[in-house]
Amino acid sequence: MSETRKQEQTTTHKIGIYLWIWGLLFVLSFFSYMVDWYQFQGLLRWSLILLFMFLKAGLIMAFFMHLFWERYALVNVLLWPMTAIGCFIFLMVAEFKYTVFTRFFYFVVGG
Amino acid sequence: MSDPKIEGYEFKPGFKGMAQDTGSDQTMFKGVHWGKAMMWIFLLSDTFIFSCFLISYMKGRGSTLIDWPNPSEVFALHVGGVDVPLLLIAIMTFVLITSSGTMALAVKYGYEKNRKMCGWLILATAIGGLTFVGMQAFEWSKLIHEGVRPWENPFGAKQFGSFFFMITGFHGTHVSIGVIFLFIYAYKTFKGHYDEGKRGWFTTMKGNYVEIEILGLYWHFVDLVWVFIFAFFYLW
Amino acid sequence: MSDEYENKTGYQAQSSETIGGGGSGTVSDVDHVRPAEIPEQDLYHGHSFITKWIFCQDAKVIGVQYFLLATFTGIIGLILSWLMRLQLGFPEAAGFMTAEHYYQFVTMHGMIMVVYFLTALFLGGFGNYLIPLMVGARDMVFPYLNMVSFWSFFVAVGVLLASFFVPGGPTGAGWTLYPPQAILEGTPGSGMGILLMCISLVLFVAGFTMGGLNYLITVLQARTRGMTLMRMPLTVWGIFTATILAMLAFPALLVGGLMMTLDNVLGTSFFMPTILKAGEVLEYGGGSPILFQHLFWFFGHPEVYIVALPAFGIISDLISVHSRKNIFGYRMMVWAIVGIGGLSFFVWAHHMYVSGMNPWFGFFFATTTLIIAVPTAMKVYNWVLTLWRGNIRLNVVMLWCLGFIVTFVNGGLTGLFLGNVTVDVPLSDTYFVIAHFHMVMGIAPLMVIMGAVYHWFPLVAGRFLDETLGKWHFWLTFLGAYSIYFPMHYLGFIGVPRRYFEMYDSPYVASAVGMNEFISIAAFIVGAAQLILIFNIIKTLKIGKPAGHNPWQANSLEWVTPSVPPEHGNWGEKLPVVHRWPYDFSVPGAKEDFITQTTPPSEVIETEVEKT
Repeated sequence: MSETRKQEQTTTHKIGIYLWIWGLLFVLSFFSYMVDWYQFQGLLRWSLILLFMFLKAGLIMAFFMHLFWERYALVNVLLWPMTAIGCFIFLMVAEFKYTVFTRFFYFVVGG
Repeated sequence: MSDPKIEGYEFKPGFKGMAQDTGSDQTMFKGVHWGKAMMWIFLLSDTFIFSCFLISYMKGRGSTLIDWPNPSEVFALHVGGVDVPLLLIAIMTFVLITSSGTMALAVKYGYEKNRKMCGWLILATAIGGLTFVGMQAFEWSKLIHEGVRPWENPFGAKQFGSFFFMITGFHGTHVSIGVIFLFIYAYKTFKGHYDEGKRGWFTTMKGNYVEIEILGLYWHFVDLVWVFIFAFFYLW
Repeated sequence: MSDEYENKTGYQAQSSETIGGGGSGTVSDVDHVRPAEIPEQDLYHGHSFITKWIFCQDAKVIGVQYFLLATFTGIIGLILSWLMRLQLGFPEAAGFMTAEHYYQFVTMHGMIMVVYFLTALFLGGFGNYLIPLMVGARDMVFPYLNMVSFWSFFVAVGVLLASFFVPGGPTGAGWTLYPPQAILEGTPGSGMGILLMCISLVLFVAGFTMGGLNYLITVLQARTRGMTLMRMPLTVWGIFTATILAMLAFPALLVGGLMMTLDNVLGTSFFMPTILKAGEVLEYGGGSPILFQHLFWFFGHPEVYIVALPAFGIISDLISVHSRKNIFGYRMMVWAIVGIGGLSFFVWAHHMYVSGMNPWFGFFFATTTLIIAVPTAMKVYNWVLTLWRGNIRLNVVMLWCLGFIVTFVNGGLTGLFLGNVTVDVPLSDTYFVIAHFHMVMGIAPLMVIMGAVYHWFPLVAGRFLDETLGKWHFWLTFLGAYSIYFPMHYLGFIGVPRRYFEMYDSPYVASAVGMNEFISIAAFIVGAAQLILIFNIIKTLKIGKPAGHNPWQANSLEWVTPSVPPEHGNWGEKLPVVHRWPYDFSVPGAKEDFITQTTPPSEVIETEVEKT
């Protein structure tokens, strides 16, 4: 798949791979759009949105940003800090649920 | 993809390779130009900024008792008598992804020292970016015309407008800065600055095609952020 | 290798690439070190006064610039603390001060000390000067950006100090800047003051992002031959890890500050709930003040480790040099620094136990907080074990090290109280908290800074600071600081609240008055004692004892530069080649009680040294 043309130690790839990835991104974007067109709701909607989003993000990072071919040191240094974000997301979900609960309980139900 | 050639260093694959690279002297990211490593770390930091924005948006949207406006209605375009949901956004996504593709190709041709192809592709990327910003500006003016403000809007919860303008504004600023650099780099490419190693105006450092890869990383990041904004703000 | 540009501007490229092979010129198997991976760095040499001392790209000059500006800002913070203590100890004498003024002093003192003094000093001051030297580089990888980072910090300080002169004065919301109060009338500086504070913080973050990128990439990608990560001095590890934290934590502050500015200026409601102000319903609604707290402390907790980790790193090096002993458990110290850094992102809401957040969070954060105490405690044991049976030189530097250990243990132990939810509830927002964080963040890192100044002054200026003056400086500061903060623990226990202008007509009046007077007097004395250091520096620069080459007989690379102070480019013709870690002190059988990092194995004759 990759063609090694040594240019000062930087190997480049055939144009084909970029066109394939671009095509895939276009297809995934189209699918995301279809999620809204067909007005899926609830868990199906959210899981499809997230799935296509992560797939697109993954393709961009791996191929356009070249991470698929980089050594593990770089890839791991970039990806492990996302666990802190993951923790933050998880806790903020709990927090907004608690906030909306207290608002409902005290302002709507009357406490 | 073969590993860079480094005298006296035997590469190992996978996690063993990572351990060896980390334990070795001089560099941890073998064969990676310092500028490229720097851009990656900057992008990691920028990722945290956009993550904080999106997490705040999630928290704000989840906390509101007043209903959140329906994005497919708010962002619909009225074309030929039909309401097409998210049409403008779909076009913007297409444009940005295409510009990401042209940028990746520009990097390839840059390393192959194909000055003309590289320059034209950078220019194409810049024009794609400019188109995106233009469409974003159009969307902003359309929404403002319909009464959406940072402090309130006629469609639902107040925070909708606040988060919308703040997040798309921050992203649009990133795109605009990228477009400016793309035009500058297209100029420098056509002039052959990267071939001859001409010294830059600001930093007086010698030019090198790796700079195009570095700008490319920034541009793909901008596209990446859009993928997340598109999913969380417009689709969800 | 000069081109027309170089001839015109006086730019000079460094000489040819380093020679591959052994360090001292002999190519023997045992001395062999891998050849250089990257070509030599292009450095821009300034030739005018402006390009050599003002807009200078040399990391050493930039380091001194950060040090001086941070110290200047710190002195302003110190004066603010005097004003606060004047009000608390002798309110009749502070008649000119209103409650609003007091809150403004509290806020600015906190923000200046944490961010503009400590962070800037450790990362910008020590980081810039020491990192390239200690890893064997000629300069940071991107000197131009490094220079821009300092000037960004300069403008940030300017904007911050400008807030003293705008209508309404600086913000009085506390250094934590909590909304909704921070932007509502009733809090001093709720208009221009908080706006300038947020702008200043944005500029600070921008500057430290630029600087931080340099520190990180220089450590990761620009080490000299033979310098592995596990051969770096702990000073570099501490500053390096702190920089990683800075890159990842400042974004949350930026986002929080930006959103609060929008709430203030545009009337958005990110953090503003429905509010009644003196009977009037404001335009805000639907926002969440606790979101700001989460964002702020997601930044705020790593921030305190950004201050603490460089201190941990530096103190390890100071202790090992001045006790002529390797740091006990170097690998573990590295993992402890990295572990503390990583864990610091998962403990933030221990600052929010009484905020009204989701009640289940207390369980999670108290657990992670206790876990992070483990590597921290291990470091303390290792410092003590380094001293144990060491050949201790009880000079001024060592005194500051011992002072650090004592104050840090004290502050760390009180942290355990506050880390537990139920114990924190009565202690929260009392003087106990103030005592805790001043011990760990104020006194302990200050001891490190002082020790580091006395230790590295001979390198930077080529002379020793006066020992006698130094000892006076130490004892007054150490005993004085204890006199200030130890009583505050008791004030906290009896419930005296923090950020209060005065004791009013409260039950504390009788018991706290005497204590407050005592603390204030101690504070004035300690503040004045810092003048001893300033006098010492000026005197030394004029008539100080010359230090010569490697006066402490240390091992790390900064002491083996060809010239003292090091010139631009640090190493002269050839980059150093490293053969060992920086802790080969008192190796049994060796000729001297230290073996520098650049000493090749072939020159270590009488003894076998373990490969590090």
